[in-house]
Amino acid sequence: MAQVLLKNITKRWGDFVGVDNQSLAVADKEFLVLLGPSGCGKTTTMRMIAGLEEPTSGEIWIGDHVVNDDLPKDRDVAMVFQNYGLYPHMTIYDNIAYPLKVRGTPKADIKPRVEKAAEQVELTEFLHRKPKALSGGQRQRVALARAIVRTPKVFLMDEPLSNLDAKLRVTMRAELKHLSRQLQITTVYVTHDQIEAMTLADRVAVMEKGVIRQLGTPDEIYNDPSNLFVAGFIGSPAMNLINGSVKDGYFITTGGTRLVKVDGGDRAKVILGVRAEDVDIHESGQGDIDVLVYAYENTGESVMLTLQFGKQRIIAKGDRHLRKDMDDVVGLRVNPDHLYLFDSETEERIRY
Amino acid sequence: MRDNKLKYILVLPAIIVVFATAVWPLIESLRLSFTVGRLTKPNFPQGYLGWENYTWAFMEEPAFWNSVEVTVLYTLITVILTTLIALGLAMLLAPGGRLRGGVQTLLILPFAMSPALIGVSFRFMFNPEFGLFDAFFGVVIPPLAEISWLSDPTLAFVVCVMADVWGWIPFLTLVLIGGLASIPQDTIEAAQVDGASSWRVFKDITLPQLVPVLAVVLILKAIFSLKTFDQIYMLTNGGPGTATQTLSHYIYFSGMKYGQIGYSASVAWVMVIPMILLTFLYARYVFQKR
Repeated sequence: MAQVLLKNITKRWGDFVGVDNQSLAVADKEFLVLLGPSGCGKTTTMRMIAGLEEPTSGEIWIGDHVVNDDLPKDRDVAMVFQNYGLYPHMTIYDNIAYPLKVRGTPKADIKPRVEKAAEQVELTEFLHRKPKALSGGQRQRVALARAIVRTPKVFLMDEPLSNLDAKLRVTMRAELKHLSRQLQITTVYVTHDQIEAMTLADRVAVMEKGVIRQLGTPDEIYNDPSNLFVAGFIGSPAMNLINGSVKDGYFITTGGTRLVKVDGGDRAKVILGVRAEDVDIHESGQGDIDVLVYAYENTGESVMLTLQFGKQRIIAKGDRHLRKDMDDVVGLRVNPDHLYLFDSETEERIRY
Repeated sequence: MRDNKLKYILVLPAIIVVFATAVWPLIESLRLSFTVGRLTKPNFPQGYLGWENYTWAFMEEPAFWNSVEVTVLYTLITVILTTLIALGLAMLLAPGGRLRGGVQTLLILPFAMSPALIGVSFRFMFNPEFGLFDAFFGVVIPPLAEISWLSDPTLAFVVCVMADVWGWIPFLTLVLIGGLASIPQDTIEAAQVDGASSWRVFKDITLPQLVPVLAVVLILKAIFSLKTFDQIYMLTNGGPGTATQTLSHYIYFSGMKYGQIGYSASVAWVMVIPMILLTFLYARYVFQKR
């Protein structure tokens, strides 16, 4: 049981700034996800919590101690690595038992705890095998069992699902969520996969270029992005971002099309954000403007239409029974209740 | 011509060369080891003796046993010392180790020198009149100034070992750096987070994963230590007396200096046995499927 606190953490390698003066508080028992594209500093942040990387400046607290000068072994954390980091020369049993062994747990205690951890991740029948003889998903579960065999203060997970195939990833994600609810231990989880972040997190910290761009619940991150980066990064397909201006209560694209009613007065350079599911498709003439179908994609559960007017393209998500073809003309209406305006210069959200 | 015939023809020259330079001399030396084989007498090799050369070496010749003793001792000490020092250096020089960069290039230098040259340089450095070591020890620890290193049996052996270890450390270090680099970094980090001290990480995680490379290093160095000749020949020439006379030096002397080809061939064959064993082990580790 412990909270994790980062105070003005910076990590620099020469001129390259990995993490730039960031502060972050992870509450006790919270599941916090660090989300961002590769190279954004999320893994570095986690490795500094683990003690595998030393911050250039700033303080790291675990519980009520500053741990900056503590070796990884003294921080009482457990970590799941992207490539699992299993010990290839040890059996699965010895892999899971290792954290207990090196911490001097009495021999009599080790066996029942290893067996319990193995049972929790359904590995009981593989305990005598070596990692090489297991599949990717099974290895992943060994890494997990090695983390949960102790009760550490903090769990650290570095893209633990990224090496699994798509189907297994969904299953393991649910298992991970179930397990974390059961264990109730503070967890920091690194991923570049927004679905993982949305489904697992209590709170998500979206990172870009060493900076946390927004920290909030999955709901807030998705429905109330505070800047252009978060708006564009979260959601699939990505949010439509359209350059233009606001004049006389309407958003006008740079191409001159009057697209949708927007409150809040005139503004010169803005970017309008609208999610694909908030773009409604109608028969030709029945929308606000008529547009051309540039591409039609049927994913089975829904259809994606890429629509073109002038040089502008916009993606709309439609009912799965909708059938259109390239170069068809359809009516388009943007739902005025779910719009986001961003300043083109600062890329910050304009709230009106 | 079909490919599967052509391939034999293509490797034939190589096979002929190996037979002419390795297999035939080996067989010929085995034949000679059962003969009188005196170079100094007419009608070489003067007829067969059966096992007499071998029984002579084992039963009657203290010089043979002396050289066996020197060789075994020399091999054990140099193998262990070189491997340990090389492993320590490799840990420091490996990616993520504490030293790196230009040091690695410097390290290869001793290995670029021929063993005979190393022998000559060490003989000069330990020369009591103008040797570098003698001058150095004389200044740092004055009582050692009077010691004549190469004329004391034990010290001469120590100097031989020193020269050999010095010459071999670079190569073995490089091999071990390669071995260390191939160990997945996340296994080491996982162990650190799991709670292992640096010593336990080394003992439980690094060392077991280094075993295949370490085995190759040990076997390779054992082979080279066993057959050491040129360096000893230049440094002490087996002396003082026979204090540093290794088996290969003894074989060379019996054969080339005293002309007892038959006898020296039989002693050589005594050495072939551990060599074949080591080569076999080496091949098994190097070519094993992982």
